[in-house]
Amino acid sequence: MAVKVLILEDNPVARSFLCRVVRESFSDTIAITEAGDLESARGQIRLAGGASGLHGVDPFKLIMVDLELPDGNGMELLAELTQYPATKIVTTLYSDDDHLFPALQCGADGYLLKEDRFEVLVEELQKIVRGQPPLSPAIARRLLTHFRQGGRPDGRAPDSGFSTSPDMPTTSAPVPIGKVPDHERLTPRESEVLTYLSKGFTIKEIASLMGIKWFTVNDHIKSIYKKLNVSSRAEAAVLATKQGLV
Amino acid sequence: MAAAAPPLADGPGSDARGDSTWVDTAVDGRRRRPHAPADRVRKLLWLGLLGAAAVVLWLRLLATEPHLPLPLQADAGGRLVLQATGDHALLPAAGQVLQALVLADGSRITASSNLLPQSARWEVDDADRQRLQATQALLGQALEQPKVTAVFGNGLQLAVAPRPRGLGGLGTTAWALCALALALYLAAAVAVLAQPGLPALLFLALATTQALNLLVLAAGTLPGLGLPAGLAPLDLAWRLAADNITSAALVHVLALYPRRLRWSRAAGPLAWATAAACTAWLVLAPPPGLWWWAQGLAVASGVLGALLLQRHRGQPRNPLARLLQRLVLAGTGTLLLLSLSMALAERGGEVPSQLASIGSLAWYVFLAALLMLGPFLSRSRQLLREFTLLAGVSTVAASLTLLFLAIFGPHPVAALALAALVSLGVYALARPWVLGQLAGPGTLSAERMFDSLYRAARALEESPSQAMRQLTSLLREVFDPLEVARSQRSVSRVRVAADGATLVVPVPHPAGQPAGTIVLRHAQQGRRLFTPADGQLCERLLEQLRRAVAHDRAVEHGRAEERARIAQDLHDDIGARLLTLMYKAPDAEIEEYIRHTLQDLKTLTRGLAASNQRLSHAAAEWKSDITNRLNAAGCGLQWSFSADRDLTLSAVQWSGLTRVLRELVNNIITHARASQVEINLHLDRGRLLLQVSDDGRGHTPEAWAHGLGLGGVRKRVKLLGGQVQWVARAERGIRCEVTAPLLQDTAGNGPP
Repeated sequence: MAVKVLILEDNPVARSFLCRVVRESFSDTIAITEAGDLESARGQIRLAGGASGLHGVDPFKLIMVDLELPDGNGMELLAELTQYPATKIVTTLYSDDDHLFPALQCGADGYLLKEDRFEVLVEELQKIVRGQPPLSPAIARRLLTHFRQGGRPDGRAPDSGFSTSPDMPTTSAPVPIGKVPDHERLTPRESEVLTYLSKGFTIKEIASLMGIKWFTVNDHIKSIYKKLNVSSRAEAAVLATKQGLV
Repeated sequence: MAAAAPPLADGPGSDARGDSTWVDTAVDGRRRRPHAPADRVRKLLWLGLLGAAAVVLWLRLLATEPHLPLPLQADAGGRLVLQATGDHALLPAAGQVLQALVLADGSRITASSNLLPQSARWEVDDADRQRLQATQALLGQALEQPKVTAVFGNGLQLAVAPRPRGLGGLGTTAWALCALALALYLAAAVAVLAQPGLPALLFLALATTQALNLLVLAAGTLPGLGLPAGLAPLDLAWRLAADNITSAALVHVLALYPRRLRWSRAAGPLAWATAAACTAWLVLAPPPGLWWWAQGLAVASGVLGALLLQRHRGQPRNPLARLLQRLVLAGTGTLLLLSLSMALAERGGEVPSQLASIGSLAWYVFLAALLMLGPFLSRSRQLLREFTLLAGVSTVAASLTLLFLAIFGPHPVAALALAALVSLGVYALARPWVLGQLAGPGTLSAERMFDSLYRAARALEESPSQAMRQLTSLLREVFDPLEVARSQRSVSRVRVAADGATLVVPVPHPAGQPAGTIVLRHAQQGRRLFTPADGQLCERLLEQLRRAVAHDRAVEHGRAEERARIAQDLHDDIGARLLTLMYKAPDAEIEEYIRHTLQDLKTLTRGLAASNQRLSHAAAEWKSDITNRLNAAGCGLQWSFSADRDLTLSAVQWSGLTRVLRELVNNIITHARASQVEINLHLDRGRLLLQVSDDGRGHTPEAWAHGLGLGGVRKRVKLLGGQVQWVARAERGIRCEVTAPLLQDTAGNGPP
């Protein structure tokens, strides 16, 4: 049976490019559904069985969401699809952590940078689907601070001392109540991997530095992603209860 | 007798205590304050009632004592002239000179100015004093008789019956003096309740003595003839005793406050014993020249008090002591001047005794006013200034009047005019000097204060964590204190503590910083006290600093937002178009070129929008990025990075370095056909060294014609203020060396 893929991208040239990337990456038969904005994407998902609760007989297996959309931000869709059993990948032109990290917190399984070459995109896509998502040094840094502090909603890395940016949350940042559950904390090895990543080492270098296999490093990264997802969702729940939404 | 000290307990003002505790006590001072104020108000009410009762009793005594209702006044020749009043019985004798008073039993009192109610204390000559005392004694006898005959110069004889004055007949002066006495007593009571302790009690004793003195003085200003019975003989003794009590109390207080002297334990009892002995001697065995002895003792005690306040070598300056010393000296000097002028006037012999009594009245009132205002002198600079001038000049004027009257006897008008002129002259001269002495931060001109404030605001904005240090230096410039201490405690607002000795200033802190307090002590190197006006000035300075910093921050915030908006527009629109262009590129070379352009755009917009990056973070990103690219091109990378400090790169520095690296690596990938690339990045003492070496086929870099790419590298490096050069390596390949000073040096010649 064909694998269903949903590509949400407003730029038609980029959309067809991504289609090519997807077809090149997998040997399976691919059935690509294209959407140009959030509304049509939601419509497509509804057709395929809905975002939550009962899933249709044939849900999407892979969803690629562009972050820069005309009628909103792709993260909204991601937040709606947290329970959806598909690999969710964000595509974006921005490569800095300020934009990528919130997307990851919303439940993305990986990211692709639109500026990369065709071959690079294919390789990255395959790695994500295999469970070896990329992690840039900046994102690794954000992850470290995120887990160190039990998570803050904006996950902003605290700079030294008093910065001149006035929108630094002072007393309004909610402190998570209760201890962070163990499955949301990083193990020491995972922390180590993240630290090396934040310094710019490649996975191969980390493997040799830590004396483990290349695959193990990837496993660590995968579990970090999962923990980020879980802890972000838990955090969102805490926030929601605090604000009386639940 | 001289001015006395404002009383305070042996508290924060005492220097002899462990000096490290004054900071804490100054900061905590206000916290200790609310110890049952209702309790104190109650005590004050009781004391007030006590005082009022005493005054009322005295007035009643004065009112009920009999007197001779003869409104007499001494003229220039010392003769008593009857004034015209509404009393019909006395009408025929109006304007006549009183010759004598004849009692019922026939004894005759010759009329002289000694009949008028006055105190024997201020009679300079011994003989005069005894005459006065005898006359008053006779008059007292006369008052016991049912009828006294007054004989006038034209032979008229009037029968006058002694009768009580009644409260209405006491005269306004007496009422005013009683009110002043009560006020003085109450002021001292307030001072005692505010800061209880031995010095305060001594001050109360001093003030009460003077208040009683004023009451007795009131008796001497009553109209008509005759002092209250029993007062006449005791008057001198009481006055002498009061003088000595005041002297002893003054010396004792000044030994305890504001600095507890080493021998204070002995000084107190010694002073009191001396006072008792002197009183006994003067009263029981009056020596010749009694008046001189009494005045001399008073002046001596004043001088001793001033000596006690003198600062010894090695001791820290205490502005309170300095102020008190000045006051004591001024009072003593005034007393000396008054005494001398009275003595001279007496020698001249033609001065009516009334002028002498006015002089002594002025002195007592001056002393009472000084005592009343004493505790509050440190509170208001304005009050102190005006009071000092007014009181000093008026007393000096009175003394000079007496002096000149003595010199220019027959021409009182000329003497008065001269005295007035000299007083005005003294006032004009003294005013600038006093103002200069008591001047506060006015010595720091407005221009310099503005300058200091501006610099402090700039420095505070640049490094808010240094707020305490900046504020300390600003306060030092403005107030020039003797000591500055910092405390970790926090206070809510600016406060003047320890009665002007210390100024407590809260340090404004941004969130997350520890609160702090700065405590200043002894303004202007110990020459001045802090007043509430200083506290207000300090609060305004803090307010200005806060506003300046907030404004700067708001402006910066606005600018940052604007930059972020521009960056986002640029990135989203132009970037998206370049992306489309890239996808549509006909061949790989153009695609690569557009990709390069897109990446440069991203670098630029990120540099525009983002706050400053740390070198270590940037290096990590560079490494990861370059590794990926070189791996994709089939090159190996050897990366080494070290920095002696984790510098924060400015936007220009970050974007410049990113593009330089990208350009160099791209160049290698495109042209060099290398298999290994070595990148070294080192930061040493603010200088960055970047070496990019490859083992490709490049050679003779000096002959290269730089295209857009390498030209861009030169331009970026020049913008960073550094140098770049390409050299051929000994083995295969090219090395590019970039050096750039990343830290700004003190001359400000660094990169923007």
